[in-house]
Amino acid sequence: MTYLARLGAPVRGFLEFLGDQAFLVLHTLRQALLLRMGQLAVVAGQTKLQIRFTGLDALWLVSGTALLLGAVTLIQAFSQLSGLGAENYIGVLMVLIILRELGPLLTAVLVIGRSSTAIATELGAMQLNGEVDALAVHGINPYQYLLLPRWLGVMISLFVLVVFFDTAALAGGFLVAKLKYGVTFGFFMNSVRQSLSNRDFAATLLKILLFAGAITFHACHFGLRIRRSQTEIPQAVTKTVVSALVAVFALDGLIAALFYF
Amino acid sequence: MIDVRDLALDALDGRRLMEGLDLVVARGGNLLLHGPSGGGKSGLLRVLAGTERPARGQVRIGGQEVWPGGGILALAGHVRMGFAFPSGGLLSNLSLRENIALPLRFLGVSGTELERRTGEALERMNLQAVAGLRPHAVSVSARKQANLARVLALDPELILLDDPLEGLDAADRTIAQGLIQAWAADKSCTLIIAAEEGDAFSYLEAARLQLSHAPMSVELP
Repeated sequence: MTYLARLGAPVRGFLEFLGDQAFLVLHTLRQALLLRMGQLAVVAGQTKLQIRFTGLDALWLVSGTALLLGAVTLIQAFSQLSGLGAENYIGVLMVLIILRELGPLLTAVLVIGRSSTAIATELGAMQLNGEVDALAVHGINPYQYLLLPRWLGVMISLFVLVVFFDTAALAGGFLVAKLKYGVTFGFFMNSVRQSLSNRDFAATLLKILLFAGAITFHACHFGLRIRRSQTEIPQAVTKTVVSALVAVFALDGLIAALFYF
Repeated sequence: MIDVRDLALDALDGRRLMEGLDLVVARGGNLLLHGPSGGGKSGLLRVLAGTERPARGQVRIGGQEVWPGGGILALAGHVRMGFAFPSGGLLSNLSLRENIALPLRFLGVSGTELERRTGEALERMNLQAVAGLRPHAVSVSARKQANLARVLALDPELILLDDPLEGLDAADRTIAQGLIQAWAADKSCTLIIAAEEGDAFSYLEAARLQLSHAPMSVELP
């Protein structure tokens, strides 16, 4: 029996974690619907702060990374394609690699590295300092003041960052194509446009929605579980990063299977 | 206002701090919890506030079931509560003024009314000079005063104060004592104070509950 219990413990732990995530999401949604007019301004202010940190402050990092990635992808791919006389597939390649997969995925990884760690640390420090309790006892619902703005902020930021990532990656790809192979802007964009479909937009939007939820609620879960000591904070941050990365990759695979399999 | 039945409370190390506590405090009543450190005063306050789950028992605040139940969230929109924490409790990314104003803004108070109530609380606690600073930039005494100012501005019907005079200098202590006396005299609010030394509140007309590691005793005035 002890052996069986030991075998089942991780499964039970994982199911409890999923249950807690579902509780956080549903409770935050429910509390969002209960917001009154006067409270909207406070929540909007907090959301703006989150957008500034997660979105605006990461814009150069994300754009720079994407520019380099787009250029490198095209250098590697074009040499193979031109050898086969398949230059027309340049757009297919960019759409397949960058827009469909790497854009949302790498942006989410960067946001996990910058923002989910920050959210977990901040919420953990707030727990230890009694700030979360202080909010609740003074009538400020922590779901409305802490969780909802972070979720909205991460969601909006992720959307903006993916748009910038895709644009910069295409720009990087075009620069290489133009400088090294003399491809014109019209040819390049036409090739990309022909390869894009509405399904790609739908898949990317779904990814953004789900990734934002995974990033935010993993960070909130581990941050808010901190109770006693500051040594719990780095442990919570590590768990947040690992858990959010696994969730994002799993969701990415699930969406790819759902849309393209 | 407060109705506690058969309450049991454990310490963090699992030690049983209290067992079978029944407590009733009428609306407008005052209660002083006193006793040595580690006796469960702060824990009992947190249970009453709905932020700490007791080991056993029922807690109703203003007719709302807090335990067993949803804790503090069960009181949202039903009971306006103010809690002065012994340390911390202020949002570290907001100034003292913003900390005091935040619960009011969430209540829907805005404009001149918000400024008036925040300003009056800051003035009463003598915090105007440091109102624009964040909690880490002010003294421990100012942080404790800011906790009291937040409660004052909120004008709550239930006030919980955890060691409100601890760490205050003489001038701030006089200001805090005056405020606590005013709350105790106000029949529209219920006041619960936890303090290590009950003598510091000898001037208060309040029921007293002595908490210790041994079984508890209740002394009514």
